[in-house]
Amino acid sequence: MSAAIELVGVSKWYGGFQALKGLDLTVAEGERVVVCGPSGSGKSTMIRCINQLERHQKGDIRIHGQALTGEPKRDAPILRETGMVFQSFNLFPHMTVLENCTFALSWVKQMPLAEAEAIAMSHLERVRIPEQAKKYPLQLSGGQQQRVAIARALCMAPRIMLFDEPTSALDPEMIKEVLEVMVELAGTGMTMVVVTHEMGFARTVADRVVFMDQGEIVEQAAPEVFFSAPRYDRTRLFLSQIL
Amino acid sequence: MSDAPLVFAPRPADPPPPSTIGVVGWMRANLFSSVPNAILTFLGIYIFYVVVSAIVNWALVNAVWEAENRRQCLDMVGRSGACWPGVAAWIPNLIYGLYPKDQVWRINTGFLILIAWAVPLWLPRVRSKVAIGLSLVLAYPFLASYFFHGGQQTLVWTALIALGATAFAWTWLTSLAEMRFGLGFGPLVARLFGAADDERARRIGWGALAALYVLTFVIVSQLDFVEVQTRFWGGLFLTLVISGIGIAFSLPAGVVLALGRRSEMPLIRVFCVTFIELFRSVPLITILFMFNTMLPLFLPEGVEVNRLLRAIVAVCLFASAYMAEIVRGGLQAIPKGQYEAAAAMGLGFWQSTSLIILPQALRIMIPSIVGNFIGLFKDTTLVSIIGLFDLLSMSRAVGEDTRWLGLFIEPFFFITLIYFVFCFLMSQYSLNLERRLGEGQRR
Ligand SMILES: Nc1ncnc2c1ncn2[C@@H]1O[C@H](COP(=O)(O)OP(=O)(O)OP(=O)(O)O)[C@@H](O)[C@H]1O
Ligand SMILES: [Mg+2]
Repeated sequence: MSAAIELVGVSKWYGGFQALKGLDLTVAEGERVVVCGPSGSGKSTMIRCINQLERHQKGDIRIHGQALTGEPKRDAPILRETGMVFQSFNLFPHMTVLENCTFALSWVKQMPLAEAEAIAMSHLERVRIPEQAKKYPLQLSGGQQQRVAIARALCMAPRIMLFDEPTSALDPEMIKEVLEVMVELAGTGMTMVVVTHEMGFARTVADRVVFMDQGEIVEQAAPEVFFSAPRYDRTRLFLSQIL
Repeated sequence: MSDAPLVFAPRPADPPPPSTIGVVGWMRANLFSSVPNAILTFLGIYIFYVVVSAIVNWALVNAVWEAENRRQCLDMVGRSGACWPGVAAWIPNLIYGLYPKDQVWRINTGFLILIAWAVPLWLPRVRSKVAIGLSLVLAYPFLASYFFHGGQQTLVWTALIALGATAFAWTWLTSLAEMRFGLGFGPLVARLFGAADDERARRIGWGALAALYVLTFVIVSQLDFVEVQTRFWGGLFLTLVISGIGIAFSLPAGVVLALGRRSEMPLIRVFCVTFIELFRSVPLITILFMFNTMLPLFLPEGVEVNRLLRAIVAVCLFASAYMAEIVRGGLQAIPKGQYEAAAAMGLGFWQSTSLIILPQALRIMIPSIVGNFIGLFKDTTLVSIIGLFDLLSMSRAVGEDTRWLGLFIEPFFFITLIYFVFCFLMSQYSLNLERRLGEGQRR
């Protein structure tokens, strides 16, 4: 069985600045990986390379065994297996919550509206905000918006979900409601890669914690090992700062 | 029992002090709050009174309403009152230019068709509004140019006019069908024929459209409008033709140019940047002159481009360059995250641009876009310089008529009102549009 995500020697430069230095990472199907590390370490860059919001210049990325070519047409069906949730939600403000969710179903999957709405409502129920379906995103709280964003990504039925700091723009009580939804999602066996500083989430949900610094993976381990016995000084310093 | 709770009885509310409410309170607070404020108020009222009474006296009280020529006006009131009979006698020319009187109905019909075409855009329960809007912009010009210009029909010409007529008929058939049955024209016909599946329904729908086209083709080919060359066009009609084409052309062209300017393909980007910067850094008058006098020099011998067409092309290019910069400003206001979210859901460039980015950007830009339309409408007065008789030059012609020699102020006053009404309506409509589109979506 092939891995869900495979990065082999992935390098990425912004101009002359190397943001990723030959990353190797394998995520098995159904695995939950939490990525952490100091600001600027390349966490976002890595996750954005996985779904090709940024194109890497060296190395290979394979999703369920299929290599990404960098050619939009050929990669599109492969990338459709990934869904992404952003720090700043990025909901479409000119569409209602329901339209945000049905939009890609109608335009990318060419699904009839009634069917798309049924799917969207089922996912909105899953994130517990079906009653907000007719509102516009900017009328919702941050936590509600992020849950809509999760529902919107789920509508496309991805097998892999990528999260880039989904809770760092939220107030504490809203963080909880979003994390609850993510914990539930983890319970369904979804493959998840989560960039987050919520170490409680990492401890309870993650199968593996990956620590990055300066564009490299410094170390990775199961959470109980990672938090109790980190091997590198850099990891210890980081953990002492955030815990 | 000593510890029974005390009962709280709310006091009745007092009315506010009389000096702070009503008309008197408002005037005291806003007009007479201090001595300088009071002086300014009286001064303002005085200036307003002087100006308005002078205008009213001239335009209404002392004005002459019936006279044979300007001499009679002057004999009656001198220069203290307006001489309206001159304007009244020229109204047909101010509106239609030198268009033959017996053909003027064609202009009126043409504009009525335009209005009728646009009406479904405001009707409730009509769902195909985007298609109707597109059909209007793309197909109306064929129909209108035949109504306005007329002349011999060639086969291609007839085919295009019939296309316009079909689109118009389709617009109303589909609007009525959607309002009455909630189905478009094609699907409704398919339903009537009892189409079994989607594929057959689609074929019947297209068949119905084709039948409609054949029908309009036959009707159109029976029409025989005499040719009215564009040098007879003028007045408000000409102004509306030039600015209407400019407006309809500049928005889509501006969007294309703005997207081109942001393109990652160097050739396209350089072309768009050059075009935009070139046309934005030259006054419209210069461009009009260039197109009028120099274009013929570049064209091969014997190819003659009509003067009106040259002016229209110049106005369109100029307006698109300005529109492109407005659109670019709007595009820049859309956060990058919107593109990324669209891309992450599998939308391609054109889908995310047309469905996610442009709707948001255009909404932000409504005030500047309409401002540009208003500017364009007023700028069309410049075509008088290259010898076209738009509303402004028509009004000047009144004072050169031997019967009304020297009558300049009254026609100016009249066309000022016309310009004001058009521009004011545009600006009010944009405010209204902004308010409606922004409901529930304000940041
Ligand atoms: N578009 C860009 N252009 C140039 N440099 C960039 C760009 N995006 C990121 N970088 C640089 O690449 C490095 C890694 O950035 P990245 O956003 O991946 O970090 P991060 O680990 O996600 O940090 P944070 O925790 O702050 O989100 C940083 O040094 C950043 O300055
Ligand atoms: Mg980041």
